[in-house]
Amino acid sequence: MSAEDKLWALGDAAELVRDGDLVAIGGLSLNCAPMAFCRQLARAGRRDLDLLAVVSGMAVDWLIAAGCVRRLIMGLTSFEGFGLAPSFRRAAETGSIQVQEWSEHTLICALQAATAGVPFMPTRAGLGTDMPALHPDRTWEAIDERSGERYLACAAIKPDVAVIHVHEADRRGNARMNPKLVWFDTELVKAAGRVIVTAERIVETSTFRQAPERTSIPGFAVDHVIEAPRGAWPTACWPEYPYDGDFYRSYQRAARDPKAFAELFAEHVAPLSTSASMGA
Amino acid sequence: MGDAATDYTIDELVVTALAKEFPDDTVAFNGAVSFVPVCALLLARATHAPNLIWVASSIAVDPQPKEIGESTLSDALWDGATMLQSSAADFWAYAQSGRMNSFCFRGAQIDAFGNVNNTVIGTYEQPKIRLPGGGGMADLGCQVGRIYLWSTTHDRRTFVDKLDFRSGLGWGDGGDHRQRLGLPGGPRVCVTNLCVMDFHQVSKRMRLRSVHPGVSVEDVIAQTGFELVIEGEVPQTVPPTREEVELIRRLDPTDARKREFA
Repeated sequence: MSAEDKLWALGDAAELVRDGDLVAIGGLSLNCAPMAFCRQLARAGRRDLDLLAVVSGMAVDWLIAAGCVRRLIMGLTSFEGFGLAPSFRRAAETGSIQVQEWSEHTLICALQAATAGVPFMPTRAGLGTDMPALHPDRTWEAIDERSGERYLACAAIKPDVAVIHVHEADRRGNARMNPKLVWFDTELVKAAGRVIVTAERIVETSTFRQAPERTSIPGFAVDHVIEAPRGAWPTACWPEYPYDGDFYRSYQRAARDPKAFAELFAEHVAPLSTSASMGA
Repeated sequence: MGDAATDYTIDELVVTALAKEFPDDTVAFNGAVSFVPVCALLLARATHAPNLIWVASSIAVDPQPKEIGESTLSDALWDGATMLQSSAADFWAYAQSGRMNSFCFRGAQIDAFGNVNNTVIGTYEQPKIRLPGGGGMADLGCQVGRIYLWSTTHDRRTFVDKLDFRSGLGWGDGGDHRQRLGLPGGPRVCVTNLCVMDFHQVSKRMRLRSVHPGVSVEDVIAQTGFELVIEGEVPQTVPPTREEVELIRRLDPTDARKREFA
């Protein structure tokens, strides 16, 4: 029993991440990011994290605002119709974090290379753009000797930790998206060294045995399970709850004034230390 | 096609002009903040292209939404879909193989060859404005054969001679650049709030195809930061018919398309 019990307390979640780790954050834009987990990282004051977030918004913005982030590896960061992510934007413009822009498919390729244990994955994505030259040691154009075809090589990226949010999990790590858009989450899970799943509900293993065709991630691929009801808020956990548009709007309003932002952030995320990136 | 509408608005003109570009064998998908293309795809499917397949949010295959919500990536668009294609790896398989063949994108900056910038204004290292990032555009600009560009802000800030950053590939440096890279197709048109442009067959430079009612060729030239190809008389964009306007208002009853027009 104890050997298989992967349940971990949300309050102790930050212990699963070390300063300096490369942490992959699940979710897609306004949908199903592991927000409760990110809140714990912010509260614990983790530092110098390298984040990998393929298409993110609020999760990344919280961690940047709290001063946790050294480098962001990303495809896109925004609040969609709610505007640019304010802390991300400010940190990128002032240079307080390093933004390493890739793209969605090149990041999938890099994760798949890590999963397969090969040095790089070829793709046509990104050819002819300015993106590969941003990190020429990680993405480079090449020509295949045999076919003469051009490709972009995407060097493997292996996250130290991946964190995703799902609807249901058991103590052994079996996880079910019920349904939700999986999107990048399963690629993060397959590539990462350690996998943390936060779940709306912890259910019995028998629930999975009764409908194994609906299990999204096998327990053996998961290291820690954390119960986190409404753990995706303010992003959506479709179809159980939608994203909280009012929160996005009030966050944007507050971001125009450091004092208002500190108040909102303390109430919903974590107190901002004076050394955190927002004020300093 | 029916009578020209008399009370249409600019968003309805842009949606109608873009919709006409989608042939019946279109299999399209959409990204974030893509209200105009979503509306145009719905209109095309309801008019001349009944076999058009639209994959809402790149996720929901062939849905029949009752309205368009606050986000073009949200489940508000997925009603009646035949499949929720929920994994990015699955999505990219079909986008790369050509089974999905059409994508609409735009950028904070667009150049004469239909390349776009959604990364930074200013330098990458010290941006004046840090934009969201290239996202999937950087990939799909290379991988998808039929690219449709649109813009609701046709001015010299958007249509620039030189991009601050090339996030997404159009015709690259022009001419046969895409072909030399081994990439399929390329941008077909760019529909804006002022005009419709396509691309010169050889140079792949943007060419003025029609100007919207009330807009002159000189207006477009004045608002474009690069030299347009202009060949002979430039006709007027055909305005939407009454039927088209009614359809648009029925397909998008909450006026989501107007979110893109300030």
